[in-house]
Amino acid sequence: MKVLLKLTDISVYAGDTCLLEPISLTLKQNVPLTILGQTGSGKSLLAQAIMGLLPNGLTSTGTIELFGKEMTLKERQSLWGSKLVMLPQEPWNALDPLMKGVEQVKEVYQYVQNKTPQESLRLSMDDLRNVGLSGSEYKRPDQLSGGMAQRLAISAATAGGANFILADEPTKGLDVSRRDDVVRLLQSRSAAGGLLTITHDVAIARQLGGDLMVMKAGCLVEQGVAEQILRNPQADYTQALIEAEPKTWIDAEPVSKESHDEILIVNQLSLKRGGRILFEGLSFTIRKGEVVGVVGDSGCGKSSLGDALLNLLPFTNGTISRLNHEAKPHQWLKLYQDPPSAFSASVSLGQLLNDLVRLHRIDVQRIQPLMRRLKLPKGILERNCLEVSGGELQRFAILRSLLLDPVFLFADEPTSRLDPITAKEVTELLVELANETGCAVLLVSHDPDLIRKTCDQVISL
Amino acid sequence: MKTLIFKRLVQLVGVIWGVGTLTFVLMRSLPGDMAYRIAASRYGQDNVDSQAAALVREELQLDQGALSAYKDWLLDLLQFRLGDSLVSGEPVIETVQHMLGHSLLLSFAGLALSIAIAVPIGLLSASKGKMVDSALMGFSSLIRAMPVFVIGVLLLLLFALHWNWFPVAGFGTPAHLVLPALTLGLSLAAVSNRVVRDSAKRVFGSSFYLFSRVKGLSKWTTFKRHGIRNIAVPVVAFLGIQLVSMIEGIVMIESLFSWPGIGHGLAHAIFARDIPVIQGAALVMGILFVFLNTLVDLLCHWIDPRGVAES
Amino acid sequence: MSLDRSSRGGGIMKMTLSQKIGLVILLILLVFAFGGTWVSPYSLSQQDLNAILQPPSTRHWLGTDQFGRSMLTRMSEAVMLSFSLGLICVITSAIIGVTLGVWAAWGETVDSIMGVLVNILLALPGLVIVLMLAAIAPGSFLVLYLAISLVQWVEYFRVVRAITKNVIHSPARQSTKMMGFGVWYQFKRHIWPSIAPSIFTLAAFGGANAILTMASLGFVYVGIQPPLAELGLMTVELFPYYSEAPWVLAQPLLAIALMVFGFHLLAGKRT
Repeated sequence: MKVLLKLTDISVYAGDTCLLEPISLTLKQNVPLTILGQTGSGKSLLAQAIMGLLPNGLTSTGTIELFGKEMTLKERQSLWGSKLVMLPQEPWNALDPLMKGVEQVKEVYQYVQNKTPQESLRLSMDDLRNVGLSGSEYKRPDQLSGGMAQRLAISAATAGGANFILADEPTKGLDVSRRDDVVRLLQSRSAAGGLLTITHDVAIARQLGGDLMVMKAGCLVEQGVAEQILRNPQADYTQALIEAEPKTWIDAEPVSKESHDEILIVNQLSLKRGGRILFEGLSFTIRKGEVVGVVGDSGCGKSSLGDALLNLLPFTNGTISRLNHEAKPHQWLKLYQDPPSAFSASVSLGQLLNDLVRLHRIDVQRIQPLMRRLKLPKGILERNCLEVSGGELQRFAILRSLLLDPVFLFADEPTSRLDPITAKEVTELLVELANETGCAVLLVSHDPDLIRKTCDQVISL
Repeated sequence: MKTLIFKRLVQLVGVIWGVGTLTFVLMRSLPGDMAYRIAASRYGQDNVDSQAAALVREELQLDQGALSAYKDWLLDLLQFRLGDSLVSGEPVIETVQHMLGHSLLLSFAGLALSIAIAVPIGLLSASKGKMVDSALMGFSSLIRAMPVFVIGVLLLLLFALHWNWFPVAGFGTPAHLVLPALTLGLSLAAVSNRVVRDSAKRVFGSSFYLFSRVKGLSKWTTFKRHGIRNIAVPVVAFLGIQLVSMIEGIVMIESLFSWPGIGHGLAHAIFARDIPVIQGAALVMGILFVFLNTLVDLLCHWIDPRGVAES
Repeated sequence: MSLDRSSRGGGIMKMTLSQKIGLVILLILLVFAFGGTWVSPYSLSQQDLNAILQPPSTRHWLGTDQFGRSMLTRMSEAVMLSFSLGLICVITSAIIGVTLGVWAAWGETVDSIMGVLVNILLALPGLVIVLMLAAIAPGSFLVLYLAISLVQWVEYFRVVRAITKNVIHSPARQSTKMMGFGVWYQFKRHIWPSIAPSIFTLAAFGGANAILTMASLGFVYVGIQPPLAELGLMTVELFPYYSEAPWVLAQPLLAIALMVFGFHLLAGKRT
């Protein structure tokens, strides 16, 4: 089998700091290679080093052999589009915001392949039809959904003839259902060439097959055939990554429906937003201590439902009755998707906590045990919300909520911005604490597996 | 788009009402016997007698109550009956028309110069290294710190009085236009080159710009296809903000170079308390301002149809 | 919404180098203004026709003007006048603009009324409004101050309103409100920290603009009237003597440019 890419001791430095430890790899024709690891593990730097796209100030050492020949930066850059191409992480940002979709494909045929404008237009229209974008050819990127934009980006990237594709987190921000489409498209586009995918998502690694390398903090943890590693991981880290996948979680024990009081009854609820009906005639009951999951594709009104239950959004029709009359308004709370945006950065977290303690005359003695339980280091209180990690901040948000003895907590994709291992920890904690304190949780997620494994009741929108 | 046009229409009405009210207050607040003063400014201090004052009083209906006078004043204004200049006696409409032509010539020349200066400099400092960038931006900060009349005075001292390359003041030949237009162009460019630079930096560093290169397009093709239009979006939007500086600049520059435009006319009329001319000049400036703003709105919408930019 | 820690405003220590330079320039000018009036034995309009357009000397540190008046006295008075106007205009317009901006962002009725008012005010360039108001009472410092403040508060209003609207709809404010905190707390923890850096920047530019506007009016003879000393007015008065006494003409020009430059540097990055 032909070797398309051979890296020998590639490392990346920022000045004297090593960001990516020396790494060597071989990529063969028709055998996709996947690099798996959490964000910040230096994976993206590797792809940028191969392309010759490292940001200013970063340098790489080692040798890069492409198509059997060692190549300099200039030589690699001359292959862009026609032989070698990299897919962008976020297609929305990688497409010209002011240019119609078909134009962004057409220009590649016209300027890279030197075809006539008419011929280029015909070819790009065909391309877009083949990826299921007929009817959307003349839309701008902001008029496309994330999945459509990624398919457009893939068409544009491969129109120049390149069949060696580097894909850096190609499914970032996409719904699970769209993810499979994109992976399939990648496979077909690189059929006679090579595919190097960088991802944090174990599911994608499994789907792509081929070879797999697992990386952690700029270092290689293990490598081999994807199927084998995923079935029988050697390193603890790989193990943890696999276990963080909701699919492998242990099923939650359902709360027995008879034993608990109902706290919220929703009857025939309808919600409209921006003139569009999100859902109609929705009825369900939430009990004390119950974890209720909400699933559905993005834009289906998952978060709006939660906001409506908290009176943050007006609804069109139906009733929402709160049955727990002793609970005060501040015991109906929300956990936010993007932890830093839910805090004021102007003062330290400790100050914010003090404010809360003073306002509601909370017993200070309760804070320490809860912090231990949530694995929050004490020093965190001296920092502000931008100086701690997302996982810590989300756990701090849970701490803050628990101090108010909530009866209902709306968790709006609370772990979607966290890496898989942390996400698992936070979700488990949330569910545990809900069971212990008898607080009902409405958990919204785009991942059906996560909901299925953790919730007593599931609402599909 | 509709709400934007409506907003501009409200502004137009606001301009007419605002200018009318201000000039009305101005007229009523003139110290001493108003009719006498106006007559004096109209016919000269020596030729004023009570008869002339009475004539003025009748013509301007100075005897009526404030409210009904205000109503008449605004009604006249709505029909564009602007009256005659108190100084020259010529119809205000004609005077203003004449001035408008000169002002438009100056502003377009100044604007064109500013674009010719700001765009290359902005692109240069965005694409060349840090040294070039700091030098160009530092220099433009220095120019930006100078009020437009200081720039004008310096250019005047240097090019007109010291080297005698261009006439000191006046109008008529293309040579007369050079210094006023250059003053306006420099003062506008000192601000807008930074906008061009920031915008270009953002576009050059954006992932879509990089993706275009990765797709295989050359540097130049990428600039042509993805650079120009995207860079232009904030630059054109900034034009709307610069209109204020432009009109304010015109007032100062025309006064400095005795360029017979609206700004010069307005400053002169305020000094001479020639109320009809103040009214006419301010009105035309306001209307021109609203009109140009609308033009910029439309231009923004044409370049970037994604959503109507906030004005 | 800006959550950037470095732009949290306040404190000389957190300023960038260029901001510090700007502050130093302004302080030097301020010391000059106070010191000049204190040191100089001559009054503002004390003429000495035997010593006109003198170069700087031990008797007249900055020389004399066309009437033999001390330039040191006149320059320090003029700089003082500019600073005073800048300061009170900034304070007045900032208080009005910020209060109304926060209020409008919070209440819808106020917002629509203010929207129309601001829209009309923005229909005329600021200088034209100030010129026309100045015409009502020529040479009046009070009218100048009121007119400039009337023009300037709009900018604070627009910026503060836009930022506050964002903050009000932010998860952070929403969650604070849900936890039972009151309006004042929400302002203190969320709104003020977000608007403070912008207010500072606007205030610095506002100070420069107020000074510039007064000088512009003086320059076209409808601002502060002679024999008072005002930088724009001095520029026109001294202009005819550019060849005999360039050092005299250079003084007001330099002072205006330095003041504006100082404020621009102090403002930091343009918003």
